[in-house]
Amino acid sequence: MGIVIENGGVLTTVQDEGRFGYQAYGVSTSGAMDSHAFHIANLLVGNEMTEGALEMTFIGPVLRFTQDNIIAITGGDLAPMLDGLPFPMYQAVLVKKGQKLSFGGMRNGCRGYIAFAGGLDVPLVMGSKSTLLRNKLGGIDGRKLQAGDEINFTSPKTKLANMEKRKVPVKIYPDKEIVLRVVLGPQDDEFTDAGIRSFFWNSGVITNEFDRMGCRIEREPIEHKGDGNINTDGISLGSIQVPANGKPIIMLADRQSTGGYAKIGTVISVDLPKIAQSQPGFKVRFIQVGLDLAQSLYIRELNKLKELDKKLNG
Amino acid sequence: MDVKFLIAGDRAVSVEFGKVICLETNEKVRMLEEKLQESPIDGVVEVVPTYCSLIVHYRPEVILYDELIQALKERLENMHSVQKKKKIVKEIPILYGGETGPDLEYCAQLEQTSTEEIIRKHSEHEYYVYMLGFAPGHPYMARFKEPYSFKRRESPRVKIPARSVVVQLNLSDLIPFEQPCGWNIIGSTPLDICNFDKEDPFLLSAGDWVRHVPVTKEEYDRIRRDVENGTYQVKTYAAEE
Repeated sequence: MGIVIENGGVLTTVQDEGRFGYQAYGVSTSGAMDSHAFHIANLLVGNEMTEGALEMTFIGPVLRFTQDNIIAITGGDLAPMLDGLPFPMYQAVLVKKGQKLSFGGMRNGCRGYIAFAGGLDVPLVMGSKSTLLRNKLGGIDGRKLQAGDEINFTSPKTKLANMEKRKVPVKIYPDKEIVLRVVLGPQDDEFTDAGIRSFFWNSGVITNEFDRMGCRIEREPIEHKGDGNINTDGISLGSIQVPANGKPIIMLADRQSTGGYAKIGTVISVDLPKIAQSQPGFKVRFIQVGLDLAQSLYIRELNKLKELDKKLNG
Repeated sequence: MDVKFLIAGDRAVSVEFGKVICLETNEKVRMLEEKLQESPIDGVVEVVPTYCSLIVHYRPEVILYDELIQALKERLENMHSVQKKKKIVKEIPILYGGETGPDLEYCAQLEQTSTEEIIRKHSEHEYYVYMLGFAPGHPYMARFKEPYSFKRRESPRVKIPARSVVVQLNLSDLIPFEQPCGWNIIGSTPLDICNFDKEDPFLLSAGDWVRHVPVTKEEYDRIRRDVENGTYQVKTYAAEE
């Protein structure tokens, strides 16, 4: 018993932290696009912060509960409703058997997360519950949720300690423009000085070619020294590839593990959620930061999550 | 050793051993990979070998960049102590030409030679798996003997079937899943290159050697049945360098 999907929404998938250890075999990591919202949702319902949750995009699903459980919804505001009434975000709430969770439409951000106390009964495939649509791997038969699917709860809860404290401020995402902090490399030396200057000076616009794999940006071309091709090498999350046409592509959760385009820089980890919550048409600017700052910001964020976990879950 | 550490964001660093794709450079990549298996660094999540570099994905909350580089340098200095692994050769049966190898004749025409000669070149020499990438289980393979060109198609195909054998220059790939491709298809293998239903989904690993073995349509069909029944054993042997 758990939830029955009455409508899958636009793109609702099971995601966790990602699938690690198989990139050497060409398997993408996948995982939640907005890892911060995903982590918070899990902590609010007393889960390990890496537990599998539902990631929904643009228009959320319609879910009927067949068993009581405590849930939390975070990330983009897709206007959640329980039995037709507004449902609070960033807060743990007990949903009763028979109740219907639905979503009115996108109001802010673009990707939302639903975490269920005790987790979802979804098999681990190569160590992860994450769905990789391209290879039909993980999640529910490797695909997005559709009407008629049923997902069981693993160990649902009707009570959690500190229930009144299980609430954090709602996050509001930018609605027109994002600024992404970038650490240069690994192939910044493949670009001319003018190319690097232009990369930071001129803004771009997110195109429609934006999915879980990557985000293509339309802008003045960034100048390479050569043809933009390199010996195929490993790609990290947030890497900014610049193919021969000079237009950058930010590599996201479902990115290929390797690639042959020069990578001018990498979006820092704490800024990746900004991309996940953006939409085509948003303006994008890049600013350069050092690796020390990027790593300390990331560690600070993890420490804050640890503190929240301690406060809520002991 | 001229090794470069390329920063790939706040959670990865690429260790680059050179700019020219060759066996010698790739062997260093593999040696570091093996050294890290033998002597792991706390905080390293996974490593991915490619032609000339090894990307190291790590957790900065466990090990910061400077500490990681120090730990990597120590291993690089001592990596020649790694016992060189035996050369592993896997035999891949291939049905050349016909419906599932539609470009064999075209390929021979481009080379101004016979189809028999194309098959001989492709099956007589071993191919080395430099790396896996692009799709799960997809090997990037090359041979080092008779390294002259097999040319590309003028216009790429939008979709080619899984298990196709495609060639370009001295390179040959096995296609695990349907994909677009600009190389010529000279054959098909009855083996699954990646099958997620199996406990070990991948036919090949980086560093393997491959020998392509020509088979008849009857043999191909029989092997395919065995593969589907889960009874086929890939012929694998250790060879002298």
